[in-house]
Amino acid sequence: MEGKASKELFKDVIDKGLCTLCGGCFGFCPYLAFHTERIVRLHQCTLSEGQCYQYCPRTSTDLNAINQQVFGVPYGEDEIGIAKKVFLARSTDKEIQQKAQDGGVVTSLLSFALTEGMIDGAVETKLDDEKVPHGFIARNREELLECAGVSYEPSPVLEAINHLPKESTEKLGFVGLPCHVASLSKMKVSPPANRANIENVKLTIGLFCGWTLSHGFHQFLHNRFDISKAIKFDIPHHPAHSFDVYTKSETQSVDLDELSPFINKACSYCFDMTAEFSDISVGSGRTMFKGWNTVIIRTKAGAEILEIAKGRHAIETQHIPADSLTNLKRASLNKKKKALQNIISMTGGIDDVLYLGISQNLINTLLE
Amino acid sequence: MSNIEIDAPGTTQFLLGNEAIARGALEAGIGFATAYPGTPSSEIMATLAPIAKKMGFYAEWSINEMVAFEAASAASLSNIRALSSMKANGVNVIADFLVNLQMTGVGKGLVLVVCDDPGGMTSSNEQDTRPIAKWLNIPLLEPSTAQECKDMTKWAFDLSEELGMVCMVRSVIYLSHTRGNVRLDQLPKKKKEAYFADIYDLDNPRQSRFTCGMQFHPYKQSEELLKKFSKASEKCESSPFNCYEGPDKAELLIITSGICWTYSVEAVKILNLQDKVGVLKLGVTWPLPEGFVKKYLERSQKILFVEEIAPFVERSVMEFVANLPPDRTRPTLYGKRSGHVRAWGEQNLDLVIQSIASVMGITYQSRQSRSVEYSQKVREISQTLPNRPLTFCPGCPHRASFWAIKNALQLDGRNGFVTGDIGCTAMGMISPGSFQVRTYYAMGGGVGIAGGFGHLGQFGFTQPVIAVCGDSTFFHASIPGLINGIWNQSNFILAILDNDATAMTGFQPHPGTGVKATGELGEKVSIEALCRSLGVNVEVCNPFDIKKTTATLLKLMAGVGGTQVVIMRRECELVRARRDRKKLYQMYVEPNRCIGEACGCNRLCARIFSCPGLVWDREAGKAKIDDAVCAGCGLCADICPQGAIIREAV
Amino acid sequence: MKDLTKDPITLIIAGVGGQGNVLMSFLIGSALVSQGYFVSIFDNYGASQRLGAVASHIKISKEASNNSPLLHEGDADIIVGLEPVELLRNLGRFGNPDVMTITNTRAIYPIGVISGEAEYPDLDRALEIIGKLSAKSWIIHATEEALKLGNPIFANVILLGALIGSCTLPLDKSSMEAVLKEQLPNVFEMNMVALNRGLELVGQ
Repeated sequence: MEGKASKELFKDVIDKGLCTLCGGCFGFCPYLAFHTERIVRLHQCTLSEGQCYQYCPRTSTDLNAINQQVFGVPYGEDEIGIAKKVFLARSTDKEIQQKAQDGGVVTSLLSFALTEGMIDGAVETKLDDEKVPHGFIARNREELLECAGVSYEPSPVLEAINHLPKESTEKLGFVGLPCHVASLSKMKVSPPANRANIENVKLTIGLFCGWTLSHGFHQFLHNRFDISKAIKFDIPHHPAHSFDVYTKSETQSVDLDELSPFINKACSYCFDMTAEFSDISVGSGRTMFKGWNTVIIRTKAGAEILEIAKGRHAIETQHIPADSLTNLKRASLNKKKKALQNIISMTGGIDDVLYLGISQNLINTLLE
Repeated sequence: MSNIEIDAPGTTQFLLGNEAIARGALEAGIGFATAYPGTPSSEIMATLAPIAKKMGFYAEWSINEMVAFEAASAASLSNIRALSSMKANGVNVIADFLVNLQMTGVGKGLVLVVCDDPGGMTSSNEQDTRPIAKWLNIPLLEPSTAQECKDMTKWAFDLSEELGMVCMVRSVIYLSHTRGNVRLDQLPKKKKEAYFADIYDLDNPRQSRFTCGMQFHPYKQSEELLKKFSKASEKCESSPFNCYEGPDKAELLIITSGICWTYSVEAVKILNLQDKVGVLKLGVTWPLPEGFVKKYLERSQKILFVEEIAPFVERSVMEFVANLPPDRTRPTLYGKRSGHVRAWGEQNLDLVIQSIASVMGITYQSRQSRSVEYSQKVREISQTLPNRPLTFCPGCPHRASFWAIKNALQLDGRNGFVTGDIGCTAMGMISPGSFQVRTYYAMGGGVGIAGGFGHLGQFGFTQPVIAVCGDSTFFHASIPGLINGIWNQSNFILAILDNDATAMTGFQPHPGTGVKATGELGEKVSIEALCRSLGVNVEVCNPFDIKKTTATLLKLMAGVGGTQVVIMRRECELVRARRDRKKLYQMYVEPNRCIGEACGCNRLCARIFSCPGLVWDREAGKAKIDDAVCAGCGLCADICPQGAIIREAV
Repeated sequence: MKDLTKDPITLIIAGVGGQGNVLMSFLIGSALVSQGYFVSIFDNYGASQRLGAVASHIKISKEASNNSPLLHEGDADIIVGLEPVELLRNLGRFGNPDVMTITNTRAIYPIGVISGEAEYPDLDRALEIIGKLSAKSWIIHATEEALKLGNPIFANVILLGALIGSCTLPLDKSSMEAVLKEQLPNVFEMNMVALNRGLELVGQ
């Protein structure tokens, strides 16, 4: 039987250009490391089966198994996944609003959960001194605030979970991109051996994502204007076509097309825009609702925390207009179509759709 | 262990071949001894240095063999008997000076002792240095026993003085490291006075002597050298170290030298061929004692040459046989050319027995092979025995250094590599050094070749290059290569693995250790100060801090280029243990935390980290510390991904 | 000076670098030389130091002879093993139906075994085979005994005691005592305890 460990991980995923640097494969064993936007093999692992391969979101993914685990029903092939409720929301906390990308809902929910003792820590992304994103566990509001905002870069967030000591009993919240959530979901389906209990992750928040940028974009921007004082990056929605850099005093922009060389190619094979396996998915409120988040509630756990937070006035909500929802669904569907097309271009035919465990029916529908 | 300074002529001491050489030098009234560590020669200086002050002579571990030999020559040009000892590769290093020394000759006796390593057990190569004697017309003596090591070294000084030229005494590892009964002779009590006589003659400036009276005309000096050398032939012809043992007319004449004589003599005994086979021992193998050889050659139809490694004596005798008058029947010559004697590697008793038996057309059965059942049983079990490959000692800082180097090269991801050098660091080629060394040549070779790689950028070369050398090697040979790299702006990193010792050869001191051969203290030469004075960026780190060392290497590799130096400094564990006499930590494995073969570990410690003190318990499926071997350095605790290896301060 | 049962008597001391193999052979040789014999020893240390395979070849004669320092195939009269696999290895080359062996029972694992690439033979079976391949054999738990005395390095002196007690060599306890005193004065008492323990273990 062909082995499925680190060697195969490189053959089937990394060398094929599918790796989105989610970090699901490392932080647990000494054989894999992360350096300058690459997963690196340090030593030769001779195992025939490894967790690195098993939990990678770009190896064979049993969507039904995940759906059963998270939602209790089979995979539904919906454009934005299982969505109990979709609405707009934002934080009521002024400090969070200032630091937030859009509505501050993620920071708000996690801060609320921390304060209430529902979780002991939140697995987040934090920028190091060289502004490189890493996985980080925030254990209080201050630390959480430091992680607020979007970096637009891939972040190996899952390493923070992977190298938790086996005995850890900390209840955790988690925020990540769709690929992070997919990897985490695989872990929930088959809990990893010799590690901290994956059931400790009580709340999973997924962010909407189209693609990420490689770190080089910083230097590119810096050649245009001084980004050392930047406090936020933002990509405003249609009809704008720019990448905005905010400082305390002003905003600078470049045309979005200029950043296309930095778009990570691996993202073009990604099937999930809205993080379909999270408890709650959060995205921008789009141009119409600047300063708000679009929120999708998927599970009971997600609904519960949102109700409690709303009841305590930590966040406020409003209805999402029908056409906004339509646009969202269309955008998500487009991503699926593009991903499938790119995958088929790579493999040469619909017989091999790489990691996507989707039905022939869905394939046909998407290709129409 | 042995007492070589004892003044008791006629008594017996139990000496190593190398100790006997040292004693021979003492009995010859030596005043000056120099060496650079090199197995199998190191014991000569290690024996002489501690007694130098007491016995009234000067002894020094020089920075390299070239300087050692030059210094010894100075003494011999100044009325002081001098000796310089080295391994075969050292002769390569002194070759240029030696060529020129032959042009001038010497005053008082100068003896060059060379210890070869047939089989290359302790060397980067296998080398027979004897041909250099023929090339440069140097009298060459080959002792065969510990007693001869002493007696022939002593004689070499006399011979050197009588001829006015350096004399070479050649030993091999099997002789240098053999201990035997040695009967001592007298120790001279003559006072030594040094003076260099070739001074400026103000009244006759044109006639001022120039080192031993030679004028500076190379062709004239060549002529002089040949004249001197013919005198050597006369003296060596009658040497008592050439001898014959066997029947008057031997069916087979074995011509042999060095330790191979003892193999030959014993082989003849074992084969019970004492009345058919004669053994001719040559104590002087260059110039060939032709008269002596001719006498016995004429009485035998078969000649077998037993020597190591090259067919040196074989070829000399062949030349001689070719010159015999045409009416003489030529004997059949057996040796390396005919394939009867192995032409590579060391000789041993078994091989010589086989060679003689095959020439004589007989078969030999040993005590083992006579019993078929025994032979079979023993062969079966032998095939199942695991080998013992070389490893870094438990606690060795090089294990940590190469671990960090490997991590850094993998993280960097541009297929960078290590150019290696001689010494303990050479084991970077194999498992204990994570198989990191990719090139391996001679002393200083690492930095030199790295300097070349560092200039290939214009052809698209992007692979980072790390030259690795030890502290003693750095002083011996790496400095010119480093300066060349800096001056020519070559892109490479020189990693000096400074464990404060010349470890591989037995912990001899060097300018960086602050102790001299005689035990006296000296001002340490600071490697980083030396490097910084060359204007190069120097980082110093502790290899046991693997994280920091890896980060430093990555930083250097990602840097703008040019030559950079990193010193990975931590004391050799054997030196530390010998001094402190206790472990740093008590180590143990917490079995409940060890996940061994499971994903997340895959036996990283036993399979890849590779320390002999950390063993794999197959039955329990866990790692375990072997207390009898573990040095207690604590490094493995940082390697274990599960934190299962515990270190407790002692 | 006693006559020798054969001339030369050949002896191999086999072990792993760092066990004090070279010292042990030096002590044996010095003691025998002090008794008037002619001894040659070849030690293959050097790159084999530190956990490499080490073997000393010892030849003992009544008169000066020019025997080679090396044994040849099947030529060992006695083999002392500081480590079981090394004893077996030397039995393989130098053993014969008349050989007498003294073995320490403590294994030292080569790197290849530790990493899982090679197998170390089952110890009990190895000791059994040693017994079968020797005319006479003594099994000594020298490392265990040495640990009782406080340091595994004493294993070599314990085996020295066993060697004397085995009466396979014309080696006097008194000449060994004198050599120990002269060569290692600072640890003389401990060494004598170890030496006597070795003698005890072979029933002397």
